[in-house]
Amino acid sequence: MEGNMILLLPMVCPVAAGIVVLAGKMFRKDRKYLTGVSVMVLVLEFALTLWAVMSGGSLTMLRLTERLTLGLGVDEVSRLFAVLTASVWLLVGIYSVAYMSHEEEEHRFFGYYLIVVGVLMGLNFSANLITLYVFYELMTLTSLPLVLHERSKEAVRAGLKYLFYSVAGAFLALFGIFFLAGVSESLTFTAGGVLNDGALAGKEGLLLISAFCMIVGFGAKAGMFPLHGWLPTAHPVAPACASAVLSGLITKAGVLAIIRVVYYVIGADRLRGTWVQNGWILLTLLTVFMGSMLAYREPVMKKRLAYSTVSQVSYVLFGLSMLNQTAFVGALSHVVFHSVIKHALFLTAGAVIVTTGWTRVEQMRGLGQVMPKTLACYTIAALALIGIPPASGFVSKWYLASGALSSGTGVWSWAGPAVLLVSALLTAGYLLPLTIQGYFPGHDFKGEEIQKRKLAGKEPSLWMLAPIGVLAAAALLFGCFPGSLISMLQSIAASVL
Amino acid sequence: MIQHLSLNIEETVAVILFGVGFTILLLHRNLIKKIMGMNIMDTATYLFLASKGYITGRAVPIVVDGVQEVSAYINPVPSGLVLTGIVVSVSTTALMLSLTIRLYERYHSLDLDEILILAKEEEQT
Amino acid sequence: MSFVQNFPFFSIILAMFSGIISSVLSGKKARNLSLVMIAVTTALSAGTLLFCLRTGESYPYMMGHFPAPWGNEIRAGILEGVTAVFFGVVMFLAVLGGLDHTAEDVEENKLNLFYIMIDLMLSSLLALVYTNDLFTAYVFVEINTIAGCGLIMIRQKGRSMSAAIRYMIMSQLGSGLFLIGLSILYDITGHLLMSPAKESVAALAASGAYRIPMLVIMAVVGVGLAIKSGLYPFHYWIPDTYGYATPTASAVLSGLVSKGYIFLLIKIFYRVLGYDNLVSSQMVNVLYVFGITGMVMGSLHAIHETDTRRMTAYSSVAQIGYIYMGIGLGTQYGMVAAVFHIFTHSATKALLFISAVGLYEASGDKKDYVSLRGAGYRNPLAGIGFTVGSLSMVGFPMLSGFISKLLFATSALESPHKMLPTLIVLAVSTTLNAVYFLRLVITLYSRRRPEDAPIPEVKVRSSWHLRLAILCFIAVNLVLGMWSQPIVQAIADGLAMFG
Repeated sequence: MEGNMILLLPMVCPVAAGIVVLAGKMFRKDRKYLTGVSVMVLVLEFALTLWAVMSGGSLTMLRLTERLTLGLGVDEVSRLFAVLTASVWLLVGIYSVAYMSHEEEEHRFFGYYLIVVGVLMGLNFSANLITLYVFYELMTLTSLPLVLHERSKEAVRAGLKYLFYSVAGAFLALFGIFFLAGVSESLTFTAGGVLNDGALAGKEGLLLISAFCMIVGFGAKAGMFPLHGWLPTAHPVAPACASAVLSGLITKAGVLAIIRVVYYVIGADRLRGTWVQNGWILLTLLTVFMGSMLAYREPVMKKRLAYSTVSQVSYVLFGLSMLNQTAFVGALSHVVFHSVIKHALFLTAGAVIVTTGWTRVEQMRGLGQVMPKTLACYTIAALALIGIPPASGFVSKWYLASGALSSGTGVWSWAGPAVLLVSALLTAGYLLPLTIQGYFPGHDFKGEEIQKRKLAGKEPSLWMLAPIGVLAAAALLFGCFPGSLISMLQSIAASVL
Repeated sequence: MIQHLSLNIEETVAVILFGVGFTILLLHRNLIKKIMGMNIMDTATYLFLASKGYITGRAVPIVVDGVQEVSAYINPVPSGLVLTGIVVSVSTTALMLSLTIRLYERYHSLDLDEILILAKEEEQT
Repeated sequence: MSFVQNFPFFSIILAMFSGIISSVLSGKKARNLSLVMIAVTTALSAGTLLFCLRTGESYPYMMGHFPAPWGNEIRAGILEGVTAVFFGVVMFLAVLGGLDHTAEDVEENKLNLFYIMIDLMLSSLLALVYTNDLFTAYVFVEINTIAGCGLIMIRQKGRSMSAAIRYMIMSQLGSGLFLIGLSILYDITGHLLMSPAKESVAALAASGAYRIPMLVIMAVVGVGLAIKSGLYPFHYWIPDTYGYATPTASAVLSGLVSKGYIFLLIKIFYRVLGYDNLVSSQMVNVLYVFGITGMVMGSLHAIHETDTRRMTAYSSVAQIGYIYMGIGLGTQYGMVAAVFHIFTHSATKALLFISAVGLYEASGDKKDYVSLRGAGYRNPLAGIGFTVGSLSMVGFPMLSGFISKLLFATSALESPHKMLPTLIVLAVSTTLNAVYFLRLVITLYSRRRPEDAPIPEVKVRSSWHLRLAILCFIAVNLVLGMWSQPIVQAIADGLAMFG
């Protein structure tokens, strides 16, 4: 244990709090106690993360073997992911206070909710590939109870599916890690890669195979084809706040892992122009298109959003696969924007479920009469995701498309933007009907159910509305004032490419 | 080849017996025959060892007439090994036999396959 | 000569004498004696280990009045010390954790017999670890077999008795082959002590004489011990044996007994036959093929089992396959990985068998998947123990199984011809492990369904010794997973001492 101990705090503090919440009896009895402590820990977590990000430095925790250590460190990428995680986690935590009052066994949800954020911080601050892998597996394990929360037959099946996809993916990646450990001095993340040319001689083919294995393996968490199947199964059964973080942040852990592997261990130059890059691009574009298509045809709201996540996270991966500065900036900014937007969307879906019990899109006709403010927030977020200026999605997609056009990857450089465009249309097709049907249900809509159940004007409580509002505002404001974020991302891009 | 075999007739017989015993122990279904097979296998090994220690024309290594020089006696170590081995094989045989008796009292059969099936059925009821 | 150097001999003889004394003691006293004896022998082994670490070399210890090459010897070095300490710890925790279940499964007036068997088992295991003489090894292999058979048959159920006779038959096949192997070795070298025998073998190998007999010896000894440790095609006795014995016996048999034979095999490879001869004779390749087949087939069998104890037993088949795969890689690293996996597997499998006891207690003593649904809530600590064990078997980081996998994979990278099959089989087997272990873990934490049979009487709390044993096993697993470096170093040094 040597280095900056402050880095441990954002990790240890919520995990310890989570264990206390899980074990303590008083948290089971008194709801106020539970929620109060949880929110306070989340606020503290936010502050600690900022402190850790500011203080920087690195920390060696443990030596697993002579060359493999567990270590933490702060660089620009970890700053971005850590601050994003802490802030969104706090907002969703506040939302959960109201949302989870409708569910059983809240202490279990909040306990694991706190533990997962600690583990995610460890993941974000990982300084080398082994540490990243350790936290990646821990994250799968600790986030599993969030999926299993209902403990019904479907939830168990979904949990198993989630576990198997993640574990299979992680072991696929582990295969690559074992190989990389043999051909590098250390697996510490360094912009541009750490591989040793001498040790690599004659093993280039294997390097490509293991790189591909790792991309596909970590891609499982990011919902990339062919290991995307867990997302649409796991999201509908989990509580809405759990689905929100699963799809908004846990999928990004897969993205982070791929960024680390490709740009910080292997080095982008070694993959440029190889079959790995082409295969990767093909997979991402396939996922983008397929996810949008499936979302378009999906009637259940939360499943539709899950498919949308499949498609949108692959936008990010597409940007990364271009191995080009502009596309890289687009990818990272889309990480931030998609995370913010998708949380807003999922939380809206959760608010609808809590207030009305509606889960299918066609039930939500006339939603504007029930919760106009919430639906307004939803609409802003939806427009941002489609990419309508000046909302945030436009900025990231602009960088993605222009990066692709100048990437020099042959046919992909124009096929990619084309697919993105088609997918954007589909996005509009699956997100906007809710707005249109909600505000303008048409003449034949009598709203009998709304009248019978006295639902009109029944907005969700402020605890739920406020986080949705903040996220929607963020989705808009990031688009209007992207300057400082983009310049930070450009500096990252310049360092790795 | 044949000459080699007949020259080392004890070893040849021992190895053949070992094979016979091994096969019976492995393949026969009757427990008593399995135990016999095991004994044949062990005895074959003792024959092998004893014949290795024997030197033609020399005496058992027990000093009786005050003859002290080594050249008068056969190698005593294999004989010692055989004795130890016999003790071991007697005890394992005893254990196997007692188990067989137990199983026979319970299932009235010496056929191992049948016993396994009966035991499985017994557990399910 | 330092007094500490007597410790290996003391520990063997102490274990044996406690067994003899136990025959006139009551069950309870025999049990206490056994626990004290295991603790003391473990301390003695630790003393030996410290001595060897301090002096940095191994030493032979003359038994009786005849010096080598005639007399009998034992030998202590770092690897022997580490293994003996580890076996002692696992044995102690397994006995401690299974106390109540043993008392239930065994008739009151036969309880002392059970602990006699435990004492003899430990004595023979220590002897296998320390011995420097091949025939002594054979005798203790037989004592080990008899004690193991006693441990299985002491539970007077039809299935455990039929399992015992099966175990006995397979063991006799194994020891018969082992015996004929060392008779032939004695024939061509004239030695039974390992060190002089090795010199003769080296001389023979250099001169090129007796090539075929040497090959036969390697094959016969290797296959004999492989049968006894349950390597894949010879694994038929494993599921019944581990599945129907009392939990302590299952933990000891799967965690220690098979490992004792593997340790002996490694010792013979290094100290008698010479590892280089073995590599050049292709024998390692045979073991390698058996090993990787076992890794996959064992897991496939385990997936089909609904009885969780048989499932755990089949997983042992797969894990034994890992160990032989490591031996079969034919490199120093592979051997280190194999020895490390011996430790990993014995700690983890014993943990699984012992913590399963707590889960069965909470499920009306049923052992199938359906009855265990929700058992993790009814007995939280046992649930955590089983989860940790499962995750370690699957190879989650921070647990011992991960380090094993890491060592196997890195050692595979050193041997170019076997790298690809090893990595692929490692990945496949890991995924298969994940399928059945994680499925069970999720079952433990899922809600009982209305159609499930009600649980007769739920025992709310397990006894303190079971809980203590589970906690200690978890700790052992974490230590192996997080501070493996000194242990790996000790294994490498110990193997170097084997020469």
